[in-house]
Amino acid sequence: MSKKQAGFYIDAQRCIGCYSCAMACKNQYHQEPGVHWRYVYPLKEEIYPHRERAWMSLACNHCEHPTCLEVCPVEAYYKREKDGVVVHEQEKCIGCQNCIRSCPYGAPRFNPARHQAEKCSMCYQRLDAGLKPACVQGCPTYALQFIEDMASFDQSGKVQYLAGFPRFPELNPSVRFRPPREPREVRR
Amino acid sequence: MAPIDRKFIERALASPVTRRKFLQGLLVSGALASMPGGLLKAVTSEAGITYEGKYQVFRNACPRNCYDTCSIKTYVKDGVVQFIEGAPESTFTAGALCVKGFSYWRRAYSPDRIKYPMVQQGRGSGNWKRVSWDEAMTRIAKKILEIKKKDDSLLGLGLTKYSGNFGITNYGVEGMMSSLGYTTRFVGTPCWPAGIDAQNYDLGNMWCNDPEDFVHARYAILWGANPAWCSVHTMKFIYEAQERGAKLVVVDPVFSQTAAKADEYWRPNTGQDGALALGMCRHILDKGMYDKEFVTQHAVGFEEFAEYLRREVTVEWAAQKSGIPAQDIAKVAEEFATAKPATIWIGYGLQRHVNGGAMVRAIDALVAMTGNVGKVGGGARYGHLYTWGFNYHALIQKQPEGSKGYVGATGPMGEFDTGQGAKAAKYSDRAVNINQTARMILETNDPPVRMLWVSCKNPFSQDFDLTMLKKAFKKLEMVVVVDQFYNQTVEQADIVLPVTTLLEEWTQNVSYWHYWMSLNEQAIKPMFESKSNIEIAALLSAKMNQLSPGSCTFSPKLNSKKWMEMEFNKGIYDLFGIKSWQDLRKGPVKAKLASSAAWHDYKFKTPSGKYEFKSDLCKEHGHQALPEYLANRKPYAPYRLLTPHSKFNIHSQFQNLDWMAEFNPEPFVYINPKLAAKKGIADGSLVKLSSKVGEMQIKAKLTDNVAPDTLLMYEGWFNKNPYNVQNMVDDTSADMGKWKTGAPGVAIHDQFCDVNPA
Repeated sequence: MSKKQAGFYIDAQRCIGCYSCAMACKNQYHQEPGVHWRYVYPLKEEIYPHRERAWMSLACNHCEHPTCLEVCPVEAYYKREKDGVVVHEQEKCIGCQNCIRSCPYGAPRFNPARHQAEKCSMCYQRLDAGLKPACVQGCPTYALQFIEDMASFDQSGKVQYLAGFPRFPELNPSVRFRPPREPREVRR
Repeated sequence: MAPIDRKFIERALASPVTRRKFLQGLLVSGALASMPGGLLKAVTSEAGITYEGKYQVFRNACPRNCYDTCSIKTYVKDGVVQFIEGAPESTFTAGALCVKGFSYWRRAYSPDRIKYPMVQQGRGSGNWKRVSWDEAMTRIAKKILEIKKKDDSLLGLGLTKYSGNFGITNYGVEGMMSSLGYTTRFVGTPCWPAGIDAQNYDLGNMWCNDPEDFVHARYAILWGANPAWCSVHTMKFIYEAQERGAKLVVVDPVFSQTAAKADEYWRPNTGQDGALALGMCRHILDKGMYDKEFVTQHAVGFEEFAEYLRREVTVEWAAQKSGIPAQDIAKVAEEFATAKPATIWIGYGLQRHVNGGAMVRAIDALVAMTGNVGKVGGGARYGHLYTWGFNYHALIQKQPEGSKGYVGATGPMGEFDTGQGAKAAKYSDRAVNINQTARMILETNDPPVRMLWVSCKNPFSQDFDLTMLKKAFKKLEMVVVVDQFYNQTVEQADIVLPVTTLLEEWTQNVSYWHYWMSLNEQAIKPMFESKSNIEIAALLSAKMNQLSPGSCTFSPKLNSKKWMEMEFNKGIYDLFGIKSWQDLRKGPVKAKLASSAAWHDYKFKTPSGKYEFKSDLCKEHGHQALPEYLANRKPYAPYRLLTPHSKFNIHSQFQNLDWMAEFNPEPFVYINPKLAAKKGIADGSLVKLSSKVGEMQIKAKLTDNVAPDTLLMYEGWFNKNPYNVQNMVDDTSADMGKWKTGAPGVAIHDQFCDVNPA
């Protein structure tokens, strides 16, 4: 059996930008003020013509070839064999911020209280207990979903690089999107 | 996980300093950033916080004024909440919460909480002094006895309370007032009164389909409703309907987040929804596409309504009034009439107009004439009180012997009151309009309102015409506010009493939208010296009787758990199919419904027993018998001002939390780029708004989500920020609401103002 790669599916058509996912993460991990592992980014008006009406909910993309892992001088990162989750071992972290500088998706964040990096772990402990990540369970519209294995994920109608989401094929981020639609509008 | 710092908790709990000094101390020590770190220690991603079990699990329920009334599961370790989840047992909440729900326990552990009873020397001075509960109660009780002696009644004691906590036991506040004597009550509701009356005229009650049956709709119009922000859990059912092929139309003056999910979005002229609905009715009539069986078998007055439509209404007229082209009105009308079932969700936004009730009646008529009332997946959805059949023991209390009160009219009403039996009594409470708090305090005399008790409410953030409210408060001899945070009303109080959050008390909750019932257990001990509203009532009763035996009938012995137990009855158990409230410990339960459709048996509660296109009762009450067009309010300033709900708060709750401020740090006024260009306003620049009641300065955000003639600010309260939309909003009444809730609604969205660069 080949190893699996878990990921996130972000259905931007269903996403209402409600921030439940981001707060669900905070609720689970009590992040320090100013630090979030998951964030809800509005799409720019050039991409979706209405301000703050279409969104990308992003945390760590648990890339196939994570740059954070490559650049960490103390090997505080490892990729789980069973599901490809990229884990940051905070106890090993020396706070050099190489990972923060190298990740083009801004997933690792600096924790000023601990002077260390930290990032989304895909709630691997919850996965191991047979549960969904907190953000996925906390999404009230099922816009954010957990992909157990990218290899068997149905790709029809889905894209890896939504407009506005930086394209880094060499990293191969483990996320897929469904682009948002626009309604027909009748305005006075 | 990291061990909880018990010493820190003990220190925090024992610290006998005022909030101001406490915050100063934290600033000096640099502890503010992580406060209360002992309780809410940040957890590293590999620390194994997540799910090793060994938690105590409690059941909670969101008691705020929100459609969703979420069922919560709370995970506690060492007496401290570790995290919460949406209860998975409820198919409505389905394991998720909203951004506000997930921040709940930050409320409980917030460093900004009111920790002790406090007395302010000079309202608005910030000169607070900590007092004991005993001293606070002594001051309050003495004042009540003084009023009683001076006036020979307690009508000088006023209560203003609304939707800050709908937990059933919190009706103990009203009970406490009754147990003291006959008092002055601010009655009615700022929320939904015009529509309640409208639906009562048409259908005989306000009763809506189970929102989970949205999935069966083949066509849905969300009219003045923004569930993507105000009922996030309903969205999944609407999406499922869309995925099954239903068309979704959203009608809103704002391109809302819900509108972004529609198949078709209409932005009509604000307050012309009635014209739009009537235009659709006329087109359906002309095409013969109405449901002949429904209008003849289950309704009265359809012929008169049809005659009115033929006489007064055309699609072109509706187009001219609303700004929506005639061909679009005709097209959607035909689609709506053809799809079976089709439904309309009438939001609380569109009834907040001087013609709000009439507009709701016009939309009801559209749903009814197409035969969609009483259908699974259909219905004119507004709200319901179907599951609110509790005993209201805490609410219904006997006045002390010899109490004198108001002579004449009946006592107060409110949409959740179940009748207090005050009608037969010689005296009653004195009811005044909650939507005109300031005006009522200023104009009520013989005796004047001398003392105001505020609970579950933040009038200085949510009531209208603040300039007048400030003036009115000057007339008050004592203001007692029961709250969790030092908000804008607490600033104007003499005495503030700290109240528990949902995690710290027992109660139970039902929704006015879905059909689930949830238990709310005490998950943690009350923080600091906070007490539940029930305990406060008990404490006041003990003090009153100590100072003047027999002066208060509220039981000093019962706690919130006992009151909660007393609220259940056989009717509730049968409705929900449970044997005891203890069954709710296993999870929320849903009412056993004969059908997911309201009015499925066509037994309407109107005088005729049928759907009433023509309502004589409505005419008797001074309105039009038919759902005729009613003109909008005339503008009194150049631009319309809309102040709807934000997704980050429920009225003035939640936005003040530091967790929430991280995602929404500051308020804005939203301005269309065309208007901004005309006025020379840049994105992010400071502007000055002015209306006939007040003015304010705020940063502008440019967006064509609002029309060029409209300015938009979201309501709410930000900690340490003077922002307040109620500076700009007057207290003009809506057309309906007095019948069922005791006072007319308020025309919150019929407001106007000017804007200029600051």
